[in-house]
Amino acid sequence: MRSLTKKRGDMYYAMALTLPAVILALLFIFIPIIDSVIKSFQDYKVRNIIGNIPGEWNNFENYTKIFQSGALPNAVVNTFSFVILVILCQFVLGMALALVLNSNVKCARFFRSIMMTPWVVPTVISALIWMWLFQPQYGLFKYIVEVFTGGRVTDFAMLNNPSTALLGVSIAALWKQIPLMTLLLLAGLQNVPTDILEAATIDGAGSVRKFFRITLPYLSPVVKVSISMSIIENFKQFPLFWTMTGGGPDGATTNLAILSYREAFVSMNMGSGAAVTTIWMALMIVTIGVYNRLFRTQDLS
Amino acid sequence: MKKILTLMAIVLSAAGILFAGGGAESTAVAASAENPLTIKVANYALLESGYEDFWNGVKEGFEARYPQYRIEWVTAPYGEILNQVINMAGGGDRVDVIFGEEAWVPQLYASGLAAPVTGIVDEEFLSDFDPAVMDVFTIDGDIYGVPLYVSPFILYYNTDLFEQAGLDPDNPPKTYDEMLAAAQKLSQLTDANGNKVYAFGQTTASVVVSGNALISMIYNFGGDVFTEDGQLNVDNEGFRQAFEMLALLDENGYNPQNAKLKDLRNLFALGQLAMYYDQSWGFNGVTSINPDAASFTASAAPLAGGSGTGEAVLCSHCFILVDNGDARNEAVNTFVQYVISEEVLNDYMSSVTPAYPAKESMSDMEAVANSGVLKGAADSISNVKKVPYVSAMSDISLDLCTLAQAVTVSDTPVDEAISAFVRSASVKI
Repeated sequence: MRSLTKKRGDMYYAMALTLPAVILALLFIFIPIIDSVIKSFQDYKVRNIIGNIPGEWNNFENYTKIFQSGALPNAVVNTFSFVILVILCQFVLGMALALVLNSNVKCARFFRSIMMTPWVVPTVISALIWMWLFQPQYGLFKYIVEVFTGGRVTDFAMLNNPSTALLGVSIAALWKQIPLMTLLLLAGLQNVPTDILEAATIDGAGSVRKFFRITLPYLSPVVKVSISMSIIENFKQFPLFWTMTGGGPDGATTNLAILSYREAFVSMNMGSGAAVTTIWMALMIVTIGVYNRLFRTQDLS
Repeated sequence: MKKILTLMAIVLSAAGILFAGGGAESTAVAASAENPLTIKVANYALLESGYEDFWNGVKEGFEARYPQYRIEWVTAPYGEILNQVINMAGGGDRVDVIFGEEAWVPQLYASGLAAPVTGIVDEEFLSDFDPAVMDVFTIDGDIYGVPLYVSPFILYYNTDLFEQAGLDPDNPPKTYDEMLAAAQKLSQLTDANGNKVYAFGQTTASVVVSGNALISMIYNFGGDVFTEDGQLNVDNEGFRQAFEMLALLDENGYNPQNAKLKDLRNLFALGQLAMYYDQSWGFNGVTSINPDAASFTASAAPLAGGSGTGEAVLCSHCFILVDNGDARNEAVNTFVQYVISEEVLNDYMSSVTPAYPAKESMSDMEAVANSGVLKGAADSISNVKKVPYVSAMSDISLDLCTLAQAVTVSDTPVDEAISAFVRSASVKI
């Protein structure tokens, strides 16, 4: 009887400890999301916020306008292109760096510390640095391209060309994000059992075979988490785009974050901004869901 | 007992986080030197180099002359100050004055924050402003801003480069055709380091002010963007000709692609840009890079193109007022009249921000009469055209930038680019 009371007491105590987190999550995550979805179906502008005027149902007008304007498909394509490009490059380069740092390379600890520098630089500052590097009249990249092409290309302007602008922002994102990916993968690599790797070596397995048959499967939980984090980070990437290109040139870097910001805070139309956000959130949930499903299948196999 | 204490601590902490905050300042007691009233002035300029000293001087001077009032600055970077003000208002904390641009008025009017100035500022003071200038701030018959000074998008040009190209620096181009003829010669030049000299600069980057500059260029050609009642009106020759001109400038490599105004100011300051459109106060950005820029800078009226006469958009730095009750309005009235005076603005307009006064009684002030960089474009103040009120103005300005980028960096045919613009902009109006 006494043991049952103690068990119940512990349960209440555990619940009480969890309660603040649940309340905060409800207040600051779940309720705002639900509120945003509701507002996406309403005529809700800044005037409503300031005057405390409730929004009015507007017959899906926010959604129909977004589709009519033709901005949404371009933003979706740009968002996915950016996410796929950055994650693929980030994983390959991050893994390569992690493997190098996990080997007995000299000064590995020093390189590990130096490598983290871009990660600690605020995103807006990173964007400004890369803007200057890509600056079309006196940027470093313009000079490098001019030198390497023997003066044949004198007007290299990464961010001014609609076909290369997204690549320019992606390079800035990679510079900032590769360190974290490398660090996570490096932590995973250090947990791969060396006895299994040694046994495989004795059995005559080559480096490539060991990497794909032993290292990568052992790394899969770390890879799964780090890529999930990267998908989310890049799906909602805003400061790099807004600072470096503002969505231009000619809409080449307008992603869903930029579109949402323009609707909500440039047009001052919160309902329309919420509609973009709702579509954006749905796409992100589906993407993460598909990714998790694919990864789970791989685990089982 | 330990558990209970831990729980109490958690509950108290959570309550602290949830309910922390301050109450609004009471304004029921009359303002006096012993009990001064504080007004909140949102001002992005305090975070920009070159302006901080002036505004700190304004605060000092105002508080010394009117000890019953205090100024509290609300600051944020230029691109964020509007959101800052609106977010504060959404939380019940409304600023009293917003220092901004005339292009912000539609947004602040639509948000319900901007108040008609006639109910706050003395009529006698307001009657001294040029009616054409105040018309820019008029929506549905009410005035929603008080300008400190004004400027159309004027043409700045480099007299040294004109001389090097064999052009008469005292006879700048007056039309786009004349500009193209001059541009052909200017584009042959290089600077001392062998860098290319761009002949003509028109901002087209994706920022709201670039959209305003593009509207001004459309007006140069006698074109329109909106009807009087704020509907889209782009089916006119002037509109098309402006974008055909941008495409031509790009094709010839005369205009730096996708440039912000600050990029153009940099290039102009470094002698790599011969002519460009800017608000008069953009010259401050030029001198911050090259303090000797005054020696080679002159201004001219906006160019005329097509059947247009070179009409332009009138820009201004202005105060947009928020009605927070009689006591605060009285303080705001005093503040506005203090700042918009020859005494306060003369030094500022002569050494920091060259601009044309908005008040008729200030038209002969020394800062303007003796300004070498301003005199060439002085007559352009009388050739301006109002942009009708459109609540989604800022977003449509960005769409205009996209249109300009389409005909330049993307090489999209002008008709096709205009159709895409109409599709995007029409759903926003």
